[in-house]
Amino acid sequence: MSSNGDPIHNRPPPHRPFEEGGVKGAALMALPPALTSELRQIVGDPNVIDGANDLRLFERDASISAAIPDAVVLPGSRDEVVAVMKLAARHHLPVVARGAATGLSGGAIALQHGIALQLSRMRRIISFEAGNASVLLEPGVVNADLQRAAARRRRFYAPDPSSQNACTLGGNVAENSGGPHCLYYGVTANHILGVEVVLAGGEVVWLGDESPDQMGLDLLGAMVGSEGTLGVVTRIRARLLPLPESVVTIMAAFPTIEDASQAVSAVIGGGVIPVALEMMDQVTIGAVEAHYRAGYPTDAGAVLLAEIHGIRESTDDVAPVIEAQLRQHGASQLRVAGDAAERELLWAGRKGAIGALGHIKPNYYLHDGVVPRTRLPGVLEQVGEIARDHHLPVANVFHAGDGNLHPNILFDLRERGVMERVESAGEEMMRAVVEAGGTLSGEHGIGVEKNTFMPWIFSPDDLDAMHILKNTLDPEGRLNPGKIFPDPNQAPRLAARAGVAKEATWW
Amino acid sequence: MTIQHPGSAEELAHCLGEADREGLAVLPRGGGRAFGMGDVPERSDLIIETGGLNRLVERSQHDLTVTVEAGMTLEALSTVLAETGQFLPLDPYNGPGHTVGGALASGWTGPLRQGYGTPRDFLIGLRFVLPDGRRVHSGGRVVKNVSGYDLKKLHLGALGSLGIIVEASFKVFPRPAAESTLRRNASSLEAAWAEAGRALASPQPPVALEASASSAGIELVARLAGWPRAIERMESELGWEKVSNDYWDTLSQANSPSWARISVPPAALMETAAHLPREGWSASVGVGSIQWFGASQPEQVREVRARAEAAGGHLVLLAAPDGLKAAVGAWGQPSPSAALMARVREAYDPRRTMAPGRFVI
Repeated sequence: MSSNGDPIHNRPPPHRPFEEGGVKGAALMALPPALTSELRQIVGDPNVIDGANDLRLFERDASISAAIPDAVVLPGSRDEVVAVMKLAARHHLPVVARGAATGLSGGAIALQHGIALQLSRMRRIISFEAGNASVLLEPGVVNADLQRAAARRRRFYAPDPSSQNACTLGGNVAENSGGPHCLYYGVTANHILGVEVVLAGGEVVWLGDESPDQMGLDLLGAMVGSEGTLGVVTRIRARLLPLPESVVTIMAAFPTIEDASQAVSAVIGGGVIPVALEMMDQVTIGAVEAHYRAGYPTDAGAVLLAEIHGIRESTDDVAPVIEAQLRQHGASQLRVAGDAAERELLWAGRKGAIGALGHIKPNYYLHDGVVPRTRLPGVLEQVGEIARDHHLPVANVFHAGDGNLHPNILFDLRERGVMERVESAGEEMMRAVVEAGGTLSGEHGIGVEKNTFMPWIFSPDDLDAMHILKNTLDPEGRLNPGKIFPDPNQAPRLAARAGVAKEATWW
Repeated sequence: MTIQHPGSAEELAHCLGEADREGLAVLPRGGGRAFGMGDVPERSDLIIETGGLNRLVERSQHDLTVTVEAGMTLEALSTVLAETGQFLPLDPYNGPGHTVGGALASGWTGPLRQGYGTPRDFLIGLRFVLPDGRRVHSGGRVVKNVSGYDLKKLHLGALGSLGIIVEASFKVFPRPAAESTLRRNASSLEAAWAEAGRALASPQPPVALEASASSAGIELVARLAGWPRAIERMESELGWEKVSNDYWDTLSQANSPSWARISVPPAALMETAAHLPREGWSASVGVGSIQWFGASQPEQVREVRARAEAAGGHLVLLAAPDGLKAAVGAWGQPSPSAALMARVREAYDPRRTMAPGRFVI
């Protein structure tokens, strides 16, 4: 990213884990009054927030990072976004797009201050198209609201992050979000047909053809998952799928995570790809049961949720195959949801698992890494050891079918010095993931959480190839600065001390 | 024109980097199956063939992933995957002999796209060489990955304009337990599309559905894949005539020296087909694309292209005599974001090394 001597690049080190207390100098960062009044002219007086106390509401997302923007602007239309972007360009201000701020990697944090572009007023579902095969909508639409609107048309939008009751489609596009059902249906990138983007200078482009076979470069593919660093998405065309005729949800309890992981590999290696294969460990099961009473056996070492979709003949044939494989690999209890209510309860436990863990400790640090799924048992064992070494409880709740693990470190912020242990443990866990041939993030993004680790899996040339794209679209480096790419000024961490992971060099 | 035949990614990178420094114009070539796509390059000094990069790098049956070098043919990859009951649903026309890298770079797909999507959906990692000779990777060997920009997608259908693909990792699929091919003849386009619509709206749609024109009318052929009892039900619900699965092997070899791909929103496909001659094309009805094997008359090509573009689509020449390319151009109206695409291309290939003048931007 360019560091061009502009004042915004020379501000104090912005990364601030949240135990350090508030930003005392926030008021000093305020934008000149002339500038905020210009912003007010663009979006209307109530849609600019720049009071010191009010700004603190926009300090965080769901990660452990925080930074206060200079001003929060809530545009109501694409044209207002364009006007704000042009103003920001004239004044060389950073711009960070923000949806529901449920992201877990710090993607919505205004790390170098500037303007937080809060897109929640742009939440219209514009139209269902092509016989409900797709939908055109604004980025502030909440994932669950889209699901409800689609369900009325016997359709669904496949990516279903656990935060779907709050997270927005714009955020999903920025992070290329996943969800339990992505095992079969694919992630956000597989379901976005086009986006309207406002570029750094205020130029508007539509990416993605309405016809198949993109003519030219697939910039849509590069935009999805770019974490708000290449442009601001103001309109989205998403694919909708017909609701399946038959859904079967199976819950299986295993004595250990190891057994459950072997069962996952056996099911998939055996030629069946369920739409979801989700796992929870004993810590999670206990917390979830206390809260949701989803019916998970609390004495189990691991609970696996498997779901299949299809026509009745298909699910009737496949369910017994899966059940047999689960039993063969040690499933002690096995239950098939009898009706939609029971199925929803089984899923409520899974999707609410992170919140339920608050029963154990008030704070959590939810990690995200992916390994080839056959490496899951080994990596999970290492994760357990690392947590024990640091005297921290860890709960595992994850997309086992994808090899996408989510170790969740539980802690109490009031405990002195705990953050250092939490961060070290998290880093060691990610290291274990990478050394098992895995990657830093499957669905949460790199953000500011893992940008330091990027050199573990990417060579300088790999990163430079990404920079070429960044510099072409955002030469000043003003869009969501400080994210994805390692910051050369950041203090060296374990990564630098230990060098590149041995097995990581195979790529 | 010189031809180089590197035996490894390192050699290829060296070769390309040297050419870039010397200001040569480079054409990458895999199996040569799509080599006629695009406009005639302004300059062409060196062909770099990828056939020497044909190794299986890694496969993992239980991870449902495979990594191969770019010069391996789709048939060779298919043989490897069949050993463990798996397959890659990529079946471009004008086979056999497409290489993995060639299929990705050309962006060619086939009938199975209806059910399985495109490599965009199942490519999980890519290694490529930048025009300056640097070797770069994007993605990895895991099935879900949001680490950094998804650069690999930029190379799909880019016709080698950003560099040369040297290795690819895929998410693969278990072979379906049962497959069946069904045929239905229709007397008119309307009747064919109505019947195709019925098949596509069924609870388990076909994984491929082709409509092709001949003097006898329109022939619809559907490919069903899944569990045996599900297939039986779909067969009986459709009520079409059962034919041999060999149909698809034959279709995948279809080609023509003067051949266009028409892509339009699926809803506009029938209207587009109505303006084509009565024979010599095959349409993926649910996808929205037509392979037109008789695109040889400039006037006719211009007219069909104008209709496709008016419908929000395009017509691209996949193979054509130089004269036709010169007369109508291989690409037609560029996308509204073409200017941005051109900036990106220029950033990756500032010396215009990669087949200058061939690609749409």
